[in-house]
Amino acid sequence: MHQPELFAGDEADEPGPSVESTNQEERITARRIRIAARNEAKTRQLLGEDSQGKEDIKEETRKSQKEVEQRERHMAKLKSDGLEMVTNIQVAADARESDRRKEQEEACRLRREILENEAKSSQEKFEEITRKWTDAKMKQTPLDLRDALNNQQQLCEQITADKNKLISELQQELKASDDRYVKDLKRQVNDIDLLTERMEEQVSSLKKSYREDLQLIENSFDEERRTLLTKNRKKWEHQMKERSEKELRNMMKGLNLLEEYEDLLQKLRVQTAEEYNIDKISLDTEVQDLRKKVQQVKFDCHVKEEKLHYNFEVLKKREEENTILKSQMKRKIIRMQDVLNNLKSKCGNQEKQSKAENQSLSNDYARIKQQYRDMQKKARHFAALDAEHFEKLWLICEDEVKALAHRALETDRIIHEQQLGLPWVSPLVPFMERSGPIKQQTIRTATQTAADILQDDTRGHLLEESEGLENTGGGVNRRTVKRILELLCDEMGFLVESKLLKLLSHLEKNEQSLIKLDAIFSAIGIESEVDAYKMAEFFMNYTQHGGEQREHMEEEETTSEQGESVEELSDLIHPNDLLLALKDFTGQYCRPYDVQASQKSSVLGLEMRDDSEDEAYWESIANVMPESKLKLWSALDTALNKYHTALTERAELLVETQDVQQQNTELRQLLQLYTSSKASAETETQTTRMRQFPM
Amino acid sequence: MRSVIAEDPDWSLALVPSLTTLSLQHIIKHFEENPILDELMPNYKAYVLQRLPASLPLTVSANLISDESYWKRCCEARWRLCDVSTYGNSWKRMFFERHLENIIELFIPDATDTKTVLDLVPLCRNYIKRLNVSQLLPPIKEPPSFDEDDRSDCASDMGSEGPSIDHFDFRILLDKLPNLEELNVAYGVKGCGMNFEWNLFEFTFRDCESLAKALNSCKTLQVFRIHRSKVDDEKCCMLVSQLLDHPSLQELDFSHNHINDHGARAIGKLLNRSRLKRLVVCNNQIRASGAQALAHALARNATLISLNLRLNRIGDEGGQALAQALIKNKTLVDLHLGGNNMSEPTAVALSQALVENWTLKSLNLSNNRLGVDGGKLLEEGMSHNSSVLECDIRLTDVGQDSEYCIAQALRANQLQAARKNQSQL
Repeated sequence: MHQPELFAGDEADEPGPSVESTNQEERITARRIRIAARNEAKTRQLLGEDSQGKEDIKEETRKSQKEVEQRERHMAKLKSDGLEMVTNIQVAADARESDRRKEQEEACRLRREILENEAKSSQEKFEEITRKWTDAKMKQTPLDLRDALNNQQQLCEQITADKNKLISELQQELKASDDRYVKDLKRQVNDIDLLTERMEEQVSSLKKSYREDLQLIENSFDEERRTLLTKNRKKWEHQMKERSEKELRNMMKGLNLLEEYEDLLQKLRVQTAEEYNIDKISLDTEVQDLRKKVQQVKFDCHVKEEKLHYNFEVLKKREEENTILKSQMKRKIIRMQDVLNNLKSKCGNQEKQSKAENQSLSNDYARIKQQYRDMQKKARHFAALDAEHFEKLWLICEDEVKALAHRALETDRIIHEQQLGLPWVSPLVPFMERSGPIKQQTIRTATQTAADILQDDTRGHLLEESEGLENTGGGVNRRTVKRILELLCDEMGFLVESKLLKLLSHLEKNEQSLIKLDAIFSAIGIESEVDAYKMAEFFMNYTQHGGEQREHMEEEETTSEQGESVEELSDLIHPNDLLLALKDFTGQYCRPYDVQASQKSSVLGLEMRDDSEDEAYWESIANVMPESKLKLWSALDTALNKYHTALTERAELLVETQDVQQQNTELRQLLQLYTSSKASAETETQTTRMRQFPM
Repeated sequence: MRSVIAEDPDWSLALVPSLTTLSLQHIIKHFEENPILDELMPNYKAYVLQRLPASLPLTVSANLISDESYWKRCCEARWRLCDVSTYGNSWKRMFFERHLENIIELFIPDATDTKTVLDLVPLCRNYIKRLNVSQLLPPIKEPPSFDEDDRSDCASDMGSEGPSIDHFDFRILLDKLPNLEELNVAYGVKGCGMNFEWNLFEFTFRDCESLAKALNSCKTLQVFRIHRSKVDDEKCCMLVSQLLDHPSLQELDFSHNHINDHGARAIGKLLNRSRLKRLVVCNNQIRASGAQALAHALARNATLISLNLRLNRIGDEGGQALAQALIKNKTLVDLHLGGNNMSEPTAVALSQALVENWTLKSLNLSNNRLGVDGGKLLEEGMSHNSSVLECDIRLTDVGQDSEYCIAQALRANQLQAARKNQSQL
């Protein structure tokens, strides 16, 4: 029954897992070593060692690695073997235990069977006894009873004997199992002893093998290390040797250099010492000179000091004076400042006033301008009205005059035809055709002239007369003028605006030149025809003049050419000279501005009439009748007057006769009245009267 | 400065202790009444820690001193053997765990005051991760109860005694340890020698109840082991019922107990209602039906890594059921079926399972009479498998040929695994 406890103890001491764990640790360490070796190899590779060394190292590492792996495998095998050996005991114990259990089960079963059989048999016996008890109660005789009782007792004894037997058997079994338990205990103690022994053995053997393995691994590593060490040491020594040689060489070189430099230094020292001495002497002399100078300077200084002292005194006094003056000046300045301020304020006021005045004046100006404009408008209006009035008046007067003239002529004709009996010839009366006031003859503008000139061919002979007239006036041939104008057109293009030129490009040549000329004239300032002709004349003169000049200049040239050139130039001004000529012209004939202004004012509307011809006009009308006629008329008048008087007298007489006749008739009527009853009488009277009158 | 005494060649100023050392020594001397440590400069602190006596009361030192060297001195003063590596390399943890274990192991119910344990709890609760209680003392018997002992000899191990033989109640302790991860308990007495009495090894029903409740209250527990404590079906059911859906339990060990098929069924239920990774029920009395229940659970389980059924009586029926479960299971790595009275039919089923299972790495079939034919079948199964690294077939009456062949197959698998390991590294 106590075996399990011992088993628990066995289990607790089991070394398996710990061995396992150490195994793992060892593995880990081995791997670490390997990784470290690899890393080392890598770093060496990186450092670029010679290939041979590298390979060696690789081999070495492989050797050690192999060793480690081999050891590892060996240890694993050892461990598993040991574990098996140790656990064998446990397995054997388990086997025993399971066997025991089987036996126990079997024994138990047997025991139960025996017990059951015994129980059955004892039950039967007990029943028999109880049955016999009832039988015994039936017994009457004591002998029978005693027999029965004895019988019962025997039976009971039998049962108890059976039971006792069983008990003893069981007790024997118990004892046997106790013995067995003790034996088991002993065996288990032995087992445990064996177990511990084996474990210890295992531990010691493992330790030993670990140590051996460690030794082997260490040896391999040592070897590796040693080879590495020797190799490295060799390398080191080699490099050391190189280094020492190099150092020696360097040292020798250095020593040589040192000597050289020492020589150099010595030389330099000597040289500098000499230089130093020379310098020292020269500097000494200089120092002496300078000392002398210093003394002189000191003396000068002293003198100057005194002088300056004196000057200082004087200056002090002056300064005092200056201070006094300064204060005065200051006062003055203050006063002046006051005055200045006053003046400033005055000036400000003045300015304000002037501004106000200016404002009012400008207002006045605007107003007056407005008034002036109004006045102008009025004036223009009145001028127009006046002109109208004038025209009307003129027409009325003219009509009157014309009527009068007509009457006069008519009378003259009548006089001639009726009174004188002469054929009447009408005098020339040009004014009778015209009517209205004499129009001012307009000034022809330069452009118009130019146009005229240019349109030369088209107009033809109509202008021949005027040409002649103008030739006499301007002294310039019309053709030359035309040429000059064309020249101007061609040469003076720069005076025309470029835009205009573009616009003109598609027009006719004549129109083009016309418009160009217009622009040119406006630019130069030529406005009237006269000016144009003047210009032409000027040009002609200029060409001649220039030509002479040129003649002078080109005297050496061939004479024949000279003549030709003169002829040509007389016709045409040279294009090159044109600009110069134009400049001179403008310089001479440029109109003053005010003239243009006056013209402008006239243009504004107040057209002045020229009344110089009016008188002549009216005179001519008045003188329709010549003096001779008038004389005739006066003689006629007188004659007619006389005739008239005679006629008047006659007329008077006629009237008297008429009156008398009338009285006569009246009287006749009265007579008739008287005559025929009285009327006859009246008629008679009247007839009488009538008779008086027809006479 | 004092004058140097010329005659004394050994005298030097260094012999005179400086004021700082004097004061530090004073602090050490009166550390118990007036603990000054954290206020000191680092080098003085080290000085003090080096010289503090290991006999300081825990109430002073427990939460104040965290220096490992002090606790090392404490441990070494108290115990001869100290393997700190099993305590997570923490001397302090070791000290407190072993201290508490000692107190629990020497706790006598009714005689010892529970205060002795409870007083220690606030001092050590933060440092204890594992409790390895190797014995629990029963209450001291009154002389008249000796009469009963004879009766108890004859009586079965059902604890029908009065409340007098209950052991230490873990309920007062476990819920107060927030870092406890491992609990090993054995309801029994160590080293009783000739004073042996049956009732020294009782695990009463009330004990079981209190232990189960205590386990349920400790939510951080990862490993629970109860050895040699006569856990039978009823107690096993009770323990398991309290461990169902435990949030952190990973390992359960019921070794050397009296668990039968009922208990095995309960454990099978627990398997799929927890996160168990390791289950040890070795040396119990599980038979075929219990093994079938476990196999049924195993077929649906996806957490269990290791299963130990050593020294049970599962027989061929149980073995076949487990082998069939192995075909479905994809997590189990370690399976121990040693000493289970199995024979050839199991070998047939197992060889089939080995062909289809790719996760199992270790299989122990020792002490089962598989026979020569069984060995051959197993050999055939192994030849199709590449995952099993260990297969123990000692004392199974397998022929030597099969044994050799299986060893070859195992070596090939091991080599492959090692290569895989290396390539992963």
